[in-house]
Amino acid sequence: MSAGVTTQPAERRLSLLVTVLAFALPVIFVLVPLAIFLVYSFFSVDQGTIVYAPTLGNYVRFFTDPIFLPVFWNTIVLCVSVAVICILLAYPAAYFLTTLRGRWRYALLMLLLVPLLMSYVIKIYAIRSILGLNGFLNKALVAIGILQQPSTLFVFNMNAILLTLSLLLIPFAILPIFLSLERIPQTLLRASDDLGASGLQTFLRITLPLSLPGVASAASFVFVLAIGDFLTPQMVGGISGFTFGRILYSQFGTAYNWPFGAALSVALAIVVICAILIGERFGRSRGTSV
Amino acid sequence: MNALPRPSTIFLAVITTLVAVLLYSPLFVPIVSSFFTISHGDVDWSSPTLSTYRALAENHDILAALRTTLIVGLCTVVLSVVSGTLLALYYHGRRSGRSILQFIIFLPFLMPPIISGLALLIFFREIGLERSLLTVVIGHTVFVLAIVYRTVLMRLQSMSRTLVEASYDLGATGWQTFWRIILPNLSSAMVGGAILAFALSFDETMITILVTGTQSTLPVRLWAMMRLGFSPDINALVALILMFTVLLCVLAARFLIPRQMATERS
Amino acid sequence: MSQNTDLLTLRSVSKSYGTVPVLHDIDLSVRDGEFLTVLGPSGSGKTTVLRLIGGLEPLTAGEIRLDGQDISRMPINKRPFNTVFQDYALFPHMTVSGNVGYGLSVRHVQRKEIARRVAEALELVQLGRFADRFPAQLSGGQRQRVALARALICQPRLILLDEPLAALDLELRRQMQEFLKSIQREIKTTFLFVTHDQEEAIGMADRICVMQAGHIRQLGTPHELYYKPNCEFVARFFGENNLVAGKLGPVQGEQRPIETALGRLICSISGQPHLKAAPDGASAFAAFRPEALHLADSTDGDNRFSGTIADLAFAGSSTVATITAGADTAAQRLRLRTPSRIDGSALRSGETVSLSFAPHEGHLVLA
Repeated sequence: MSAGVTTQPAERRLSLLVTVLAFALPVIFVLVPLAIFLVYSFFSVDQGTIVYAPTLGNYVRFFTDPIFLPVFWNTIVLCVSVAVICILLAYPAAYFLTTLRGRWRYALLMLLLVPLLMSYVIKIYAIRSILGLNGFLNKALVAIGILQQPSTLFVFNMNAILLTLSLLLIPFAILPIFLSLERIPQTLLRASDDLGASGLQTFLRITLPLSLPGVASAASFVFVLAIGDFLTPQMVGGISGFTFGRILYSQFGTAYNWPFGAALSVALAIVVICAILIGERFGRSRGTSV
Repeated sequence: MNALPRPSTIFLAVITTLVAVLLYSPLFVPIVSSFFTISHGDVDWSSPTLSTYRALAENHDILAALRTTLIVGLCTVVLSVVSGTLLALYYHGRRSGRSILQFIIFLPFLMPPIISGLALLIFFREIGLERSLLTVVIGHTVFVLAIVYRTVLMRLQSMSRTLVEASYDLGATGWQTFWRIILPNLSSAMVGGAILAFALSFDETMITILVTGTQSTLPVRLWAMMRLGFSPDINALVALILMFTVLLCVLAARFLIPRQMATERS
Repeated sequence: MSQNTDLLTLRSVSKSYGTVPVLHDIDLSVRDGEFLTVLGPSGSGKTTVLRLIGGLEPLTAGEIRLDGQDISRMPINKRPFNTVFQDYALFPHMTVSGNVGYGLSVRHVQRKEIARRVAEALELVQLGRFADRFPAQLSGGQRQRVALARALICQPRLILLDEPLAALDLELRRQMQEFLKSIQREIKTTFLFVTHDQEEAIGMADRICVMQAGHIRQLGTPHELYYKPNCEFVARFFGENNLVAGKLGPVQGEQRPIETALGRLICSISGQPHLKAAPDGASAFAAFRPEALHLADSTDGDNRFSGTIADLAFAGSSTVATITAGADTAAQRLRLRTPSRIDGSALRSGETVSLSFAPHEGHLVLA
């Protein structure tokens, strides 16, 4: 621990053990699996067994087969849309939180974050029943006269995936935006008011630019979580709501082509890493130098 | 924030209320249905009943899955808290190699669960480890380790170095210092980390689906049942789980706020 | 308890962090039972000295002896010293009595005995009523006293105090100074006290060790340091002083003249053989305290010069005049301190006056 303390032999043996564990644990259980995974993407499958010979076949197939690239692209568009919806809803809510004082601010924040910890599968199930033909949404829309009769527009298609993912991921957008809004010094806003800016001008020219880093992290956060989800599309997407995650997952189930699945995962990982890096790049606030 | 004109405040409040409703409506549905019967999408408000809870008590399938989930959760908590604390103690105050290994620890948390799950699936297959509850526990531990590690490390960093020096100075050995000074000061962070780890493990679905054997945890069991539609007793289970989760949140908040901050009067 | 036996000796102790040296070849003896203060500006290495003695850091070179035995390599938890840390380092999860009893409890002293001695120690620091409180529930001064009780309960040979009063406000600091001094007299344990505050040092210490840039500049009683500083740094750092640069003239018994911009000034060199030995023409400073400087009258023969009062500042019991003396090209800023008088000062701002100080109140430091 501290210099000048001569350790007992038992303590020295323990510290050696800790050193070994500190390096071995992350390497064995994280790095090695990911490395094997990467290697797998260069193998192939022949009649249900894996051929351990390196090939670029999986990647060639990903880029040439007419199925994968469009789904890949559609999924990215879907997840960007999810991120946009989440931010449009989360930003006003986060802004409202920062207008509150003390205890209320954090109590309400907690209230909006708690649903995160609630059972994921159950939430999807409940959302599906709300969106369904007999669900609350249809009943409400019929009741206020927007729809003549219940519609199947909201379930078992891409719309359903979009709505469900947005609903599930809003809290992940609220937190980073709230934190970046909270960090804006009050004095800046007051200075702007003193200079004669209207509330809207202050918001557009001071608050909004300074909170953009939080928006960027929120967007990359939501995007990454959305694109990695394969359960939600499976449960609410039906046949038409086909996403990249589902294709990927099926390679390890029904299609049984692990090497190809690994290659698809590499593609997914690259998109995710890009999203995280973009979020990092714009998430690093310019606000600190103001 | 600056004082906004009223209309904009009202607008913001309305949106916030909408968000809260959107977030809570999926939770509201099963709770209501656990007390009232629903037919053709209409709630029969006239007859509150606890029959769903009685049915739950007899659903051995679900109860077994619940027990499995608890076992997995507890094992995950023990493993992740022990190794997360060890890693935090090791990397605290050490610069060489720390950032890279820290990044590796955080990878499973940053990567989509499908990638972590599939990587582990192939890894288990390559080392010849059958899919079982053990593989689920390993998967969960790898997933939640970053959270425990970070919680403990942050507490360590806020702990004054002189506490350890004072202990040695007063004649304590390394062991005594560890057990009587370092560990007690980390304990609330460890409990907080443990609660978070348990909550994450309890609800972990995607990695679990990929690495589980024949025994499944509750979320996976629910997922399998969902395709066929749920029996009403599931609603009772969900209501109970929600209450339990709220309790956990309150506890976690309590333990993650350092004791000093809570008792400091000045 | 004799103050003349050495308890602890540092011999040619050096310390570097990596390639950055912080202590150069330190020699220091701590006498048994004394209150020794290590005084220096921040970065002088004073805290490092304390950490080396306490065993919190290893030595780079040299040795530390306790009763003549080399303890340089003795682990911190075996050294019969205890430290009062600057931030007190009270264990937040233990009560006051848990904290104070920790040193005994890790040595497996019996519970009854611990309880008795904890009660005793808390009584000594006047905190008996607070035994069951947690550190977070105490004020700064109370925490300070808990830290002290915790350090002295193991009856160490030496208590090391690392700027323990730095975090307290002025009034409390004064009280704690008296309190520490009285405790030290009561338990007759050697105190090694580190501080950057020279007033604190003067008020408490039997001896003061002045450090600067990793060197010990002077070690002596407060009186010696104040009236016979042996270098420019101590002369300037320790109390207010007037320093006038010049060249030494030939020795005249126990006095020696120095040629300065203010003319020839005669200063005492009694008991300072190195000043006697310095060659004629060597660069030096004439040093005299503001309270030694006074308006010259007819009896003053030596050390007369004229100056203009640039500013007058009333400071309660005394009044301080800032004076510009000497030719324009080599103007000296001097300070003069006189007791304040109810009917106003005899001095007038802007007035040109004749000034003087007695040779025996002036001394020399080599540049």
